[in-house]
Order: sequence, then C-alpha cells, then structure tokens
Amino acid sequence: MINTVILSWTTFIYFAAFAFYLVRMVSVRERWGRLGAATARIGLFAHTAALILRWVASYQMGMGHAPLSNLYESLIFFAWSIMALYLIVEWRTKSRSLGTFVVPVAFLCMAFASLSPNISSRIQPLIPALQSNWLTSHVITCFMGYAAFTVAFATGLMALLKGMERRARTGDGSAIYGKNANPSPMNFIRLIPAPGILDELIYQSTVLGFVFLTIGIMTGSIWAHYAWGAYWSWDPKETWSLITWLVYAVMLHARHVRGWRGQRMAVMAIIGFICVLITYLGVNYLPGLHSYQ
Amino acid sequence: MSKKNPVRTFFASVKLAIVLLVLISMASILGTLIPQQEAAGPFINRLSPSVADILRGLQLFNIFHSPWFIILLALLALNLVVCSLNRVPLAWTRFRQKSEPDRDDLFETIPPDQVVVKETSLSEETDRLEKLLGKKDRVGRKDMDDRSYLYVEKGAYSYFGVYCVHLSILVMMAGVIIGSFLGFEGYMDITEGESSAVVALQGGRGAKNLDFAIRCDRFFIDFYENGAPKTYRSDLTFLKAGSTVQSSSVLVNHPASFAGMRFYQASYGMIPTGDPVMTVALDDKKIKDVQVAVGMEFEIPEKKAKVEMTRVEENLMGMGPAVKLSIQSPAGHIQFWVFQAIEQIMQANPGILEQVTLFNPGLFEPYVFSLGQAGSRYYTGLQVTRDPGVPVVAAGAALMMIGLMIVFFCSHRQIWIRLDTRGEKTRISITGKSNRDAVGLNREIRKLLDAVILNRESAT
Repeated sequence: MINTVILSWTTFIYFAAFAFYLVRMVSVRERWGRLGAATARIGLFAHTAALILRWVASYQMGMGHAPLSNLYESLIFFAWSIMALYLIVEWRTKSRSLGTFVVPVAFLCMAFASLSPNISSRIQPLIPALQSNWLTSHVITCFMGYAAFTVAFATGLMALLKGMERRARTGDGSAIYGKNANPSPMNFIRLIPAPGILDELIYQSTVLGFVFLTIGIMTGSIWAHYAWGAYWSWDPKETWSLITWLVYAVMLHARHVRGWRGQRMAVMAIIGFICVLITYLGVNYLPGLHSYQ
Repeated sequence: MSKKNPVRTFFASVKLAIVLLVLISMASILGTLIPQQEAAGPFINRLSPSVADILRGLQLFNIFHSPWFIILLALLALNLVVCSLNRVPLAWTRFRQKSEPDRDDLFETIPPDQVVVKETSLSEETDRLEKLLGKKDRVGRKDMDDRSYLYVEKGAYSYFGVYCVHLSILVMMAGVIIGSFLGFEGYMDITEGESSAVVALQGGRGAKNLDFAIRCDRFFIDFYENGAPKTYRSDLTFLKAGSTVQSSSVLVNHPASFAGMRFYQASYGMIPTGDPVMTVALDDKKIKDVQVAVGMEFEIPEKKAKVEMTRVEENLMGMGPAVKLSIQSPAGHIQFWVFQAIEQIMQANPGILEQVTLFNPGLFEPYVFSLGQAGSRYYTGLQVTRDPGVPVVAAGAALMMIGLMIVFFCSHRQIWIRLDTRGEKTRISITGKSNRDAVGLNREIRKLLDAVILNRESAT
C-alpha cells in the first residue's frame, strides 16, 4: 500500500536528517544544520501525508479507524510525535543541536516498525475491545507524553556530555575554544547549548510529558471503566505507567523542593525514559490485558 | 514558633515521600514480574514448595491487595496530609500578603532599560498606566507630591496548586476505599432465552441475589472477513416481579446500567440444552431425530424395522444417560444400549464395543444410533460491578488536572511601577517579582514598557 511505501521512505529521510545534524556537530558548519532541518521537515511532511492516507485507506477498506490500533501504527505515531515536538522545540529555541540526539530515536522507531518481522504493517479491523472513542484520545495523549519524555531524555544525554566538557576544561583548557580549533570531539560538545538552557529544556519537556501522561492515564482509566468494568486493574501496563508517573513525580519534587538541577535532572530524565520504554514495549513480554497484537 | 514534634517532622519530610514513592514503585515492579492472583497458579507449580510458601507468606502473589502494600499507600497518604498541613499556612500567608505600592527598595537595582522618561505630566501618565494595568479595584495606587506608585499582582492562588494535587490524590484514595467497601464485582452466565438473578462474586466470595432478574433475549457474534471477531452483543431485559423494566443491548465498550450496577459483555459460550433426543445416522448423515421416552416407537422403513425404547436410564452403571433399544426386523430381534457419552466410554475402555456388543450403538448395521440433546444455545457471560467510588475518583482526577495546570502553568506575578517628576518630564520605572516564571514576568514587563513608550491603550 502507498502509505507503507511512503513510511519506508520517511525512515530513510529521517536517517538522512540525523546524518546531516551529526555532520553539523562535527564540522561546526551551520549549513549542514540547515540541511538537516529542511530534511527533517520534508520527512515530517511525508510522514503526516502517509498517516492521512492510511486513515483514508482504512475507510476505503470499510474499517474506518484512526491509524493507532496496533504496534506498527503506534510506533509510526510515536515517531511522528517525536519529530513534530522536536521541530517545535527547534523552532522555539533556535538551536539545532538537539536534532543529533532526538532524530535517531524517531528513526529507530520507524526502522523497528518497518523491519521487524513480527510487526505487521497491514491495516487490521478493530476487535471489539478497541472499538471505542477513547482509543484515539488515550493513544494520542500517551504518545504526546512519550514524545516529550523522549526530548527530555535526549536533552539529558546532551547535559551529561556537556558535563564532560566542563571536566575536560578544568584539566586542559583553552585549546577547545578559538577559531583555529580543529574538528574534534570537543567541537561536538561545544555546540551543545549551555547547561542552564539544557536544564530548562529538560524541565519543560518533563512537565509537558508529565501532564500528557497524567491525561493519558486518566483517559485510559475512563476507557477501562467502560471496556473492562474497572478503572484500574493493576494490569502490567497500567502498573508500569504508574511507576513511570511516580519516577517523574519524584524528579519534579526533587527539583522544586530539593533544588536539583543539571546533571542530576539529566540522570532522572534518562531513568524516566527507561520506564517509558518498559511501559510502552517491555510490558508486551509480560502477561496482561494490554498487549499489542 | 513552638518546638517541633519529631513525629510530625518525620511525616512531613519530602525525604520520606521520596522513599515511599521508591518503595511503592519497587513493589509495583515486583507485581508485574511475578504473576498475580489467578495467573500465579502455573508459576507456583513450577516452584519448589518451600519457596512457594515463602513467597505466599510475603503475599507476593497478591501484592496489590496485600496488607503491606496498603500500609505503604496509607503511609504515603499520611505523609501527604502532614506535609501539606505543615506547608499550607505558609502558602496562605503568601497568598494574603498584599504588598505596599511604594517599595522604593525594589527600584534600587533595576536595569536601565526598565526605565522610560516621557514628556507627559505625572498625573496623566499615572492615570493612563493605572488603566493599562487592569480593573481599578485590583490595582494598588499611592500618590505623593512628586511621585506616584502603582502595584498589581496576579496568580497569588498559584501557591495552592501543589496542595490541590496532593488533595486530589487523597480524594482518589478515598474513592478507592469507598469502592472496595460498598462496591462489588461478580459474574453471571445467562443462557439465551433464560433469566437469572444471581451474581457469582469474584474470588469465590459467594453469591449475591439481586432483587431483579435479567433475561438474555439474544446473544450475537459477528466476524470480520478475516475471521477476527467484530461484535459481541447481548440483548438483555431487566425484569422486576416478572414485568419488563428496561431493555438494553450490551456490547464490549458499551455496558448497560441498571439499579446502580453496570453490566459488561465479558465472555460467551455454548451449552447443550433441551430434551434428550435419539438420532439415527446412516454413513455419518443424520436421517432421523426421535424424542426419548420409555415405550417410544419408530420405524426404519428401508429395513422394515420397528424400533422401541424399552428403558431410559439417567445414569446407567455410572456411565451417564443411556437408552435401551429393542429392534424387530425381518433379520431378527436385537437389543442394545445407546449411551450419550459413548465417545468417552470408548476412550476409557478401548475395545469395549467388541467385548460387550450390547453397548454397541452400531449393532443394527448400517445404522448408528446416538443419544444427544435437541440443540445447543449461546450463553452470555456478563461482568457485574457496582462501584460507588467512581464519581469520587473522577472528582479526584479533575482536581488533579486543575492542580497540575496551576502548578505548571500559573505563577504569582507582582509588578510595581514608580513614576516621579523630573522637571517637566515624568520618569517611569517598572519592576516585578515572580515565584516561578521569571521569563513570563520579563515578557510582561517588556510589553508594559512598549505600551508606555508607544502610548498604547492596552499592554497586549
């Protein structure tokens, strides 16, 4: 089908965008950054078009549901959310450094969806449990949250790398800066924004993710109330979403009450993202009501 | 301040909250790794009995309902209450505290770009700015001979946002407790065309008699072309004292409500029903169905045979229902038994038909007799729940969203403006404070400055 063909191409476009962003970081030439940003935009445009085509195709096949109903479609939508959020952040912060860290996550999701032999890209009809208006709102809010946490995670990685620069500078100093500096790993780190900016970005994307995750859990509970007769059943996915929520709640309290900043927040963002991955993919290997088919 | 109670200090600490959250998370992780409740059975069988006993003793097969997990949650609730009670007075003080408009100390260190000098008079400029800041009763103003002060604040309520979230968690916990004491969950299987008024409670906790009955008029399944299920639907009628009160269709995702309970489509199945029937088959093809009764006679014209049921037994020799046939035909007279459970009997006793020809239902060749029931009907499996805690939990969730919006997207902003005469001119200085959002405050000050410079009527 045409939408899966476009989506396979989108995978390569995202890889190209990642490569351009990476070249920018190593070569310290902004034109690579502009190229990367343009490529990422083309990719997102194609990606959006494919999602719409897939939606239309499902109506033509007489099923008529949003493309959010199985693992393939959720991975595709996860990648879409990541790219959409990233491009908004890039536009707001006017910094392209984050692209090197976020775009590969979107690429990996797309590649996993396209290449894994266990994931079917066919449009499937909705089984009775999924025939609910809450499906769309639940999935969209959850993946908005996951995407925001992905940005926080990528920014956390940047903050940890940036921390290496400060340690390196105290050892052997001034050669890193200045116009004649050779391309080196230190250039790469130099292009990462200042720790204060990273800290703010980690915080803001975590807040965004936390609010969306909260709404996602709530819409899921409402749905479960209608579908399973209980708003909470300690199903592994529910439980892991709660664990994820608690980890980010601890992170936000640590910042507000105990004043955590910088590297500690970066580590928390990474731990939180590991929980997100378990909630999203890991629990499929545990028994429960919620697993993808 | 009075001396602090050490117990209270302990329960108010954020450290305790973090430790509890970590413990609850770790217990929850265990709860997803170890199969819980009904799912634990096969897992327990694979463990050695002593290990299984230890795990059972620690209630690791039902973590989320175990006393120690509930104690952790209760401690968290207590921690939330004490910690919030300790801090709310400070938030209240900050909320009530109205700043004086004339705070000269705040203007001592302001950056030069937050100062504008204009040609207009002091009073004219003050009036205009006062209007610009908002409704009159919300703007503080103080006029002196050669200078005026304006003060405005908004979002002072934002100090309560976090307690709103804490309270929402307590409200949700209250909803869960209400549900667990006043609610129930159970199941009922109702065969098509029949009615039931008994709910089997979950976890083998007995049965609950309803003061109304539910009749399943029809159960319906529809499939997609690829064989996947498309729809499960039960058409139900709720009866009180024999008369119809309500008719509802129950589908997955669309439960029915009646008498404060909800009925969910949970499962379905087939059961054999109806009167016993004797079936005569030739080459695996059914040629005749005959009702079972002692003395019942029928004919097989092709063989000019007359068949009579001479005995009907509910349970012959512990092998289930059976009917004894006596067949008169030109070939002679034979008698044999037809068992309903002949398949199982043959499996349990291989070769029995050869040894005991009296038990062979194919003795009158080439016909084969079998005993069955008139048909099978669907039954629908309904999940029945009543949870009066749901509205409370929903209210808690709404409160949590309001709280989160306040915590993350609202802030307390205070803005002070000092206007003083500089000869013929007026000097306007603007400064402010915010508890959380320095960037937003700065943006607002810039907007005000722009409006002052351009003589705009509104700051946006």
